[in-house]
Amino acid sequence: MTASPDIRTAGRRQTAALSVFLVIQTLGTVFFVGDVIGDLREDPTSMHFIFEAIVTAALVLGILFGAFALRRTIELLRAQDQALAVARGALSDVIDRQFTAWALTPAERDVAFLALKGLDVAEIAELRGAAQGTVRAQLTRIYSKAGVSGRAQFAAFFVEDLLGQGVPTPTP
Amino acid sequence: MSTPQTLDADPSITPPRLWDPVVRLTHWGIAVSVLFNAALDEGGSLTHVSLGWLVMALLLLRLVWGVLGPTEARFSAFPPNPLAALRHLRDLAGGHPRDYPSHNPAGALMVYAFWAMLALVTVTGLIMTSGATPMQVADDKAAVASGDWSALIKESEAEDDAGLRHLAEETHEVAANLLLFLAALHVAGVALESRAMRRSLLAPMLLGSRRK
Repeated sequence: MTASPDIRTAGRRQTAALSVFLVIQTLGTVFFVGDVIGDLREDPTSMHFIFEAIVTAALVLGILFGAFALRRTIELLRAQDQALAVARGALSDVIDRQFTAWALTPAERDVAFLALKGLDVAEIAELRGAAQGTVRAQLTRIYSKAGVSGRAQFAAFFVEDLLGQGVPTPTP
Repeated sequence: MSTPQTLDADPSITPPRLWDPVVRLTHWGIAVSVLFNAALDEGGSLTHVSLGWLVMALLLLRLVWGVLGPTEARFSAFPPNPLAALRHLRDLAGGHPRDYPSHNPAGALMVYAFWAMLALVTVTGLIMTSGATPMQVADDKAAVASGDWSALIKESEAEDDAGLRHLAEETHEVAANLLLFLAALHVAGVALESRAMRRSLLAPMLLGSRRK
């Protein structure tokens, strides 16, 4: 599978950014609290102290909420990864069974799989070390066994089941 | 956690392929700061005190993360258990260490030892500087440099806790050396385990394995 700069990389970037932010936040808070304690020992004037106590509480709460949010993001990412793995496994099961149902030969299976992955005739031919004419003939046989009109319908055969909604019917 | 000894290869128990960013940031931040403070700067210098505060902040964050973080970063995932640690070392000596969902029991003990030493070093460091933040240290140093020696007087005026400060100094020294010893042990343990397990324990702490 080629690199996919999609939601998952975005999510990973988000956790990294949140983590760095959390570290900086903690640094700021610790230094501030240290300073407050220093101030307290020198001059514990009440108004000043109350104000600083509020700021300190806000900073600490910020860290706790930040940590919690980060945990949620990390867990969400993991759940997505897992769902994707399950879906991937299930899809490859479905494809396997369907290929068997269509009685594809081993060579046709290979070609059909590569075609599903989006490779064109020239690429498939190069990968399999076969002539382009051979691949084209194999694809034609595959389409006829599957009873589809061509590549687009062939790919859609598997995607269709994954899409929950039906085709919207135009309402008068 | 009572470790189920009979359960051998539970497929659901897999060590983390990649530690989360907070664990990694705190780990390397503390490692670099400790090494730098031990070898490259002078005790009491502005850099030394600043890095000490940095370590304190990172340690605190890691402890918060031990409660709020994802499963394998939480304390509950690696409770201190000396018996399990010994068992793990025996497995390791036999060449068949098991997988654990977080730190292995021996590694967990190491983690707690690290945290205890880090806390000790930081607290004694704070006592030695009487809790001065890096900003205050910088101010004092600037004052002394400009010829105003009152900062020095303020520091030595508290004679009554000189004993405590001396004790803190000794402890700081010993704990820091112990910390370096633990670090060496830790690196050796990781190397040994990586070899026995035939997988790098270092990669999950860096960027994770590149294979997808």
